[in-house]
Amino acid sequence: MEHTAGFSLPNSGHNRDAEASKMGMWLFLFTELLLFGGLFIVYMVYRSLNPEAFLLASFELDVTLGTFNTVVLLVSSMTIAMSITAIQKGNSKLSIQLLVVTLVAATVFLIVKYFEWSSKIHHGLFPGQELYASLPPGESLFFFLYFFMTGLHALHIIIGGIIIGVVVYRTRKGLISSEKYTLTENAGLYWHLVDLIWIYLFPLFYLIH
Amino acid sequence: MREDQNKTPENKQQQLHITSYKEHFSTLAALLLLTVITVAISVFGADLRSLSVFTALLIATVKVIVVAYYFMHLKYDTKIYTWLVLIVVVLFVSFTVLTSIEYLNR
Amino acid sequence: MTNTALSLNYLQAKKGIFSWIFSVDHKRIALLYLYSIGTFFLVGVTLGVLMRLELLNPGKDIMEAQTYNQVFTMHGVIMIFLFIIPSIPAVFGNFFLPIMLGTDDVSFPRLNLLSWWIYIIGAIMALSTLLFGDGPADTGWTFYAPYSVKTGTNVTMSVLAAFVLGFSSILTGLNFIVTIHRLRTPGMSFMKMPLFAWALYATSWIQLLATPIIGITLLMIVAERVFGVGLFDPSIGGDPILYQHLFWIYSHPAVYIMALPAFGIISELLPTFANRTIFGYKAIAFSSLAIAFVGYFVWGHHMFTSGMSGPARIIFSIMTFLVAIPTAIKVFNWVATLYKGSIDVQPPLLYALGFIFQFMIGGLSGLVLGALAADIHLHDTYFVVGHFHYVMFGGTGFAFFGAIHYWYPKIWGRMYNKLVANIAFFILFIGFNTLYFPMMIVGLMGMPRRYYDYLPEFHLPNMISTYGSWILATGLLLMLGNLIAGSRRKREHIDRNYWKTGITLEWQTLSPPPVSNFDRMPVLPKDGPYDYDHKPEIKEKED
Repeated sequence: MEHTAGFSLPNSGHNRDAEASKMGMWLFLFTELLLFGGLFIVYMVYRSLNPEAFLLASFELDVTLGTFNTVVLLVSSMTIAMSITAIQKGNSKLSIQLLVVTLVAATVFLIVKYFEWSSKIHHGLFPGQELYASLPPGESLFFFLYFFMTGLHALHIIIGGIIIGVVVYRTRKGLISSEKYTLTENAGLYWHLVDLIWIYLFPLFYLIH
Repeated sequence: MREDQNKTPENKQQQLHITSYKEHFSTLAALLLLTVITVAISVFGADLRSLSVFTALLIATVKVIVVAYYFMHLKYDTKIYTWLVLIVVVLFVSFTVLTSIEYLNR
Repeated sequence: MTNTALSLNYLQAKKGIFSWIFSVDHKRIALLYLYSIGTFFLVGVTLGVLMRLELLNPGKDIMEAQTYNQVFTMHGVIMIFLFIIPSIPAVFGNFFLPIMLGTDDVSFPRLNLLSWWIYIIGAIMALSTLLFGDGPADTGWTFYAPYSVKTGTNVTMSVLAAFVLGFSSILTGLNFIVTIHRLRTPGMSFMKMPLFAWALYATSWIQLLATPIIGITLLMIVAERVFGVGLFDPSIGGDPILYQHLFWIYSHPAVYIMALPAFGIISELLPTFANRTIFGYKAIAFSSLAIAFVGYFVWGHHMFTSGMSGPARIIFSIMTFLVAIPTAIKVFNWVATLYKGSIDVQPPLLYALGFIFQFMIGGLSGLVLGALAADIHLHDTYFVVGHFHYVMFGGTGFAFFGAIHYWYPKIWGRMYNKLVANIAFFILFIGFNTLYFPMMIVGLMGMPRRYYDYLPEFHLPNMISTYGSWILATGLLLMLGNLIAGSRRKREHIDRNYWKTGITLEWQTLSPPPVSNFDRMPVLPKDGPYDYDHKPEIKEKED
């Protein structure tokens, strides 16, 4: 910049532009949606080709745990939305508290997921395991998709958790305030996306009857 | 770093809207209600089971709209975001429709 | 303000390799892309020439059948994922999009650098299959299941490389969309944006919304190879054709990622060298969006013989014909732009004309393939190979060369030898058509593609084609040598508006541009970007 001392453009890419960051985040969310979208297409095709097998296989999943996790995620979505309200009103302390609640919810979600997965793996339903290989046509696809989609979703939860952790850290440092809270907003958008995907995953895997 | 904003029409800084805690809470209540309905239909609604995929997806879609509209702030953002979301949805639905046409006619 | 303060351009501003590979200046990143993409292009060309050499005579010439399979796969992977998809957006888009919009950088400069690094990591992964593991993939660049799941070659790494490269592509697209929305110079509405920016806008949307699908599909291939899932295996209820669907949902729009930026380049070259406004600005701008949109719904025409259902094939065939309409609109408007223009024949214009000629052959042969009945006969023959290279190399490749010759003085502030450039163009043009036109004929005769051997009756066209590849390679070397020699010439003063008739904003700044792109506020033409009646006067020096 020092080389153009006399002149500078009004519209510089190096300016802080909250709207641009938000737009970038939305565009990124679109790519995430289509990433899962590809999997939903696979799910749709295989379920329509093997309806009975999908039904039978879905009985292995625990509706209670699934519902519990859904509620956990919905609550966490609200707390992170509220934390944006808090920071907008200048209440950093409340904002941090709400973010921490969100993080706790994320952890609870992952713990429940861990128990669900380990009971399936214990039964030998993970791709490559013995029981998996002997499953009738269609059921193995159900379990592959179950592990792949919920696994990818859990990965997003972990990434979202890390982002929220960064937001907490920066808010505590005073780098995020009622003047400048783009990061909180973007973390919120990302977290809601994780929620959106789960809203579809839940009925498609747990509620087949 | 300069803080000046662009002044082209599209780039006008939109008015800041702060969503109230109460609105967030009502949104959550609505979402939880929808969750209860979808689980109830699936577990207890023996008569409705033939509709199960359809209703489950319908309720999920309503929930997604609620999350996007309130939590994700589409309600208060510039309309361009809503349009972009709609385009993406149309695109994805078209993928599924075209794929379905293929598989249903095999 | 003194001119001495501005005399340090972006090339001189800082020195040392780290000031390049960690630069967040979009112009330097563009050059990083140019050099890396150029290198991979040469690797791809070498592999292509080797393939042609093998096909010179029936039977074995220089390599085994298995090697041939790996060579054509590498050729495809390198040319598609490493060269042509990033080529124009990452090089000229990065360099000129911000300048054409009248701003100093893209919206997310650091993300821009990150996408180059991701690109390099992906490239290293792709090339590492040559050295490590069980040899490069032999599946063709399409990685069709179930063979890609069963083959012993290093498909996993190739597929992961494509996944990583997709990431880079997505980030570039995201950056451009936000830049176009947020950083246009005051007064530049969407309808006053240069057509290259429009083309990049449409391209970026495809990059953004199609690439994730291939990403997840490729991950499924990896999962299948690692865990032995049998995802596309009919014996457990899977469907190998579903892989093709997912693959082409991305890869057909990807063809427009490759072609649309080239259309943008041509829309820039023609007004400059015809010295008149572009004909049908809105039609060209919106046809880019139309191509991008309709292009999402035609993927099935790659699968007409795969066993798709009848109604689906008919729908995809109709959609394929539909997508030809906006493409034809562009071609007509380009030709109309040339009509009654005061045409200045310069090397870039030659490439643009070569583009139009070859792209038309490619596009029309595409309609032959889009027709359901004809495709049954021509599917997986050399006709497809010919068609594809006419569109991609004869089209996008030539537009890329045209763009280098057009913006060369702006990028480097030096000039190449125009006579040599013209000669190189004609050698390239002749070599290109000698190489690829016989492929169409031999395809109509029924020679299948991807075969290492062929029947004796296909000998003559294959021989001509191989000779063509030598002419083409000569032309490429001459062109490249000329460009390199130009950059080694003594630095002379290059006018801001080197071609005199350039009208977009990059011609209002210094050649090469200063670090922040402009030394004074750029002035927009009165009525739209190609308003030659109210062309802003460009002064070399401040008064």
